[in-house]
Amino acid sequence: MKIEIRLTDIPIAEHLSAPASGVGAGAWVEFRGMVRGEENGGVIAALEYEAYSPMAETEIRRIITELTSGQSCLFVRVIHRVGIVPVGEAAICVGIAARHRAEAFGLLTEFMNRLKRDVPIWKCRALTADELAELKTQ
Amino acid sequence: MRILFFAHLKDITRCAEMNLPGGDLDADGLWQKLIEAHPRLDQFRTSVRLAKNSEYVRRDARFTDTDEVALIPPVSGG
Repeated sequence: MKIEIRLTDIPIAEHLSAPASGVGAGAWVEFRGMVRGEENGGVIAALEYEAYSPMAETEIRRIITELTSGQSCLFVRVIHRVGIVPVGEAAICVGIAARHRAEAFGLLTEFMNRLKRDVPIWKCRALTADELAELKTQ
Repeated sequence: MRILFFAHLKDITRCAEMNLPGGDLDADGLWQKLIEAHPRLDQFRTSVRLAKNSEYVRRDARFTDTDEVALIPPVSGG
């Protein structure tokens, strides 16, 4: 099984191609976690993400390897944004190719649960529209 | 050893990393030295996990001068 991991400070492409995982894949599931316009009851314009990058990549790979042991998933791609992510943009994109959809959906759910528990990435700041505008002028 | 701080712990310590000489320490010994250097870290001790060289450690882990140690507050990615 192939695993592709990327932490990036640029927007995640609107359309990502499904991997060339051969003729075995019957399912390609893609999930995007979006930045909402509200955080802790307040209106926001963006979130700032911070990562301990080497460990985040190691943990993501370890979690996927553990969860796919004995499964027939063929490919997993994880892209997570770091830095400023405006409202409406994806903070994370996970793509999974598997023989059957049940495996792909199951892995996606369990992976996201584990990511939110163990992977050293943080929402370190919520920015208002004024704060975001000020950052853009700097 | 090199100590890394993330998220709100950077605000607490006012730095992203520090060098902590100390030799061979267990987790309690490490925390003692960290709190001596930054007393406000004490209130986060129960919620922060320790990682050594990019891996979470077990309770019986030991830390030496060549290790990179990260203090991992509760994560919030995704």
